[in-house]
Amino acid sequence: MPKLRTSAALWLSVLALIVLVLPLAVPSHFAIDIFIRVLLFAFIGVAWNLMGGYAKQLSLGHAAYFGLGAYTSTILLIRFGVSPWIGMLAGGVVAMLASLPIGAVCFRLRGPYFAIATIATAQVLMLLFLKFRDFAWGAEGTTMPNLGNSPLMMQFDAKAAYYYIALVMLAIGLAITYRIERSRMGYYLVAVGEDEDAAEAIGVNALRIKRNTYLISAFLTALAGTFYVQYIYFIDPNTVFGFNISVEVALVSIVGGIGTLWGPVVGTVLLEATSALLQSWLGSSHGGVQLTVYSLILIAVILWRPSGLLGVLTDAYARVVHAGPVRAREASLDG
Amino acid sequence: MLARCAREKPPSMAEALVVHDLSKRFGGLRAVQDLSFSVNEGETVALIGPNGAGKTTSFNLITGYHRPDAGSVFAFGRELVGLRPHDICAHGLARTFQVARPFGRMTVLANVMTGAFLRDRKPEVARERAREAMDFTGLSAKEHIPARDLTTIDQRRLELARALATQPRLLLLDEVMAGLNPAEIDQAVALVGKLSTRGLTIVIVEHVMRAIMAVARHIVVLDHGQKIAEGNPREVVADEQVIRAYLGTGYVHSAAPGDTQC
Repeated sequence: MPKLRTSAALWLSVLALIVLVLPLAVPSHFAIDIFIRVLLFAFIGVAWNLMGGYAKQLSLGHAAYFGLGAYTSTILLIRFGVSPWIGMLAGGVVAMLASLPIGAVCFRLRGPYFAIATIATAQVLMLLFLKFRDFAWGAEGTTMPNLGNSPLMMQFDAKAAYYYIALVMLAIGLAITYRIERSRMGYYLVAVGEDEDAAEAIGVNALRIKRNTYLISAFLTALAGTFYVQYIYFIDPNTVFGFNISVEVALVSIVGGIGTLWGPVVGTVLLEATSALLQSWLGSSHGGVQLTVYSLILIAVILWRPSGLLGVLTDAYARVVHAGPVRAREASLDG
Repeated sequence: MLARCAREKPPSMAEALVVHDLSKRFGGLRAVQDLSFSVNEGETVALIGPNGAGKTTSFNLITGYHRPDAGSVFAFGRELVGLRPHDICAHGLARTFQVARPFGRMTVLANVMTGAFLRDRKPEVARERAREAMDFTGLSAKEHIPARDLTTIDQRRLELARALATQPRLLLLDEVMAGLNPAEIDQAVALVGKLSTRGLTIVIVEHVMRAIMAVARHIVVLDHGQKIAEGNPREVVADEQVIRAYLGTGYVHSAAPGDTQC
């Protein structure tokens, strides 16, 4: 459908233009900080979505890879003076290696058992790093050495620099997802997510496809870990291996629409932006309000739109453009 | 007894599938017991028997979903026991499930393409192959419908198209006609016949006797996990043990001893 493709390209260019000039148009440090968080969590959401969304393997332990990425680059930086840019890739490789045994154990479990097993992996790693006092600073954690403005060491004076790094990471994550969605791997992933036995019956090696996806997902999540600790200049086990991270990246995808390219982005924009804005408006005066609103959004989505908010948007768009909902778009895996 | 009769195999006909002494227990239940039968290339063989006779379990044993306790499954010169289902499919054996299992979130086309990807990893090629399979099963008009919205017969068609898209040499059909009305059964019978004339080897589990008589030249009858009879349709329906298994002892006529010989 050439007409649809050109309009999609148009929207994408407009979107790209907006996000590119955003830090220039909005000089407030506070706002840029929110944007960076949105981009970062959208990126991890995209990484999670490959596994949790397309293949429907509900992982609640992605903090394991986030933390491994963060610790690998930090240890390399502080102990060996290696640039975080290299540490980032090293962290990705460490996460991939860790995902192999974790996957080998967890993939034999299905449904909620898989989710519980993944929670355990992140918790075990957190406990380990709490004990690694000599090597990894134990529970106290450590701050990053301040090297001033040194792009080669992933440290910048301008917050906008972090914004653009996160933006590039998100773009890469989306591009990878886009490619996978349209390849054999994408079809196999969705098939495994829908019905593993039926997929096996038509020649899909379910274990292999899950393992390969987990490798990619772990690698990307680890990159985000490095970026995050470089950005906040601090690392400790609770920050990077915390259950919060695992839940948050799963939630943004679930709210946005699992198994869709843009779902995690839509979900993060809504959840992160709402909670950040509420926090700033209400401050500490109305402590629980921010969490309450956050929870209400979740409940509303799960009750009325279990397939995610992206479906609402595309349906509305279809209604405007075609004057009628296009149901098959929802399942438009036929390219 | 028919089951004891050695089947004559003309040397020209190669054996596509040889099941030998296959056994499987689930706890105290002997689901399949010392089952042996073979299928020649290009032949259509039916597996019949009352509910719980072990037909579907046999399928699961052959296609790698259950591991047999004993026995062997040989297909196109390779032992299948111990292989995973996707390996067995790659070896040329495709199956359908008794309850259709479409990938509901995908379109019909995407479902069938997933099968076609086994032989071609390029989406354009897989799409072409998928369209051929959908053409064959009569699904072409519905390629953009999400699979969860299909009617029962269309879900069965999809199940078949998806299996065919893997380009199998041997097709195992598990009750593809259950729940269809008489007109739809006729369509399904015609479809199976068409597959057979294309040279595909078929093993079919079915309860609809009319369909079996129409498609199968050779029938294997199971009861309580054991083979109780085997032969062509005419022989099988006259067999004492078969009648007893289906209808009870009171219905057995004293058939002339010569009638049921091979």
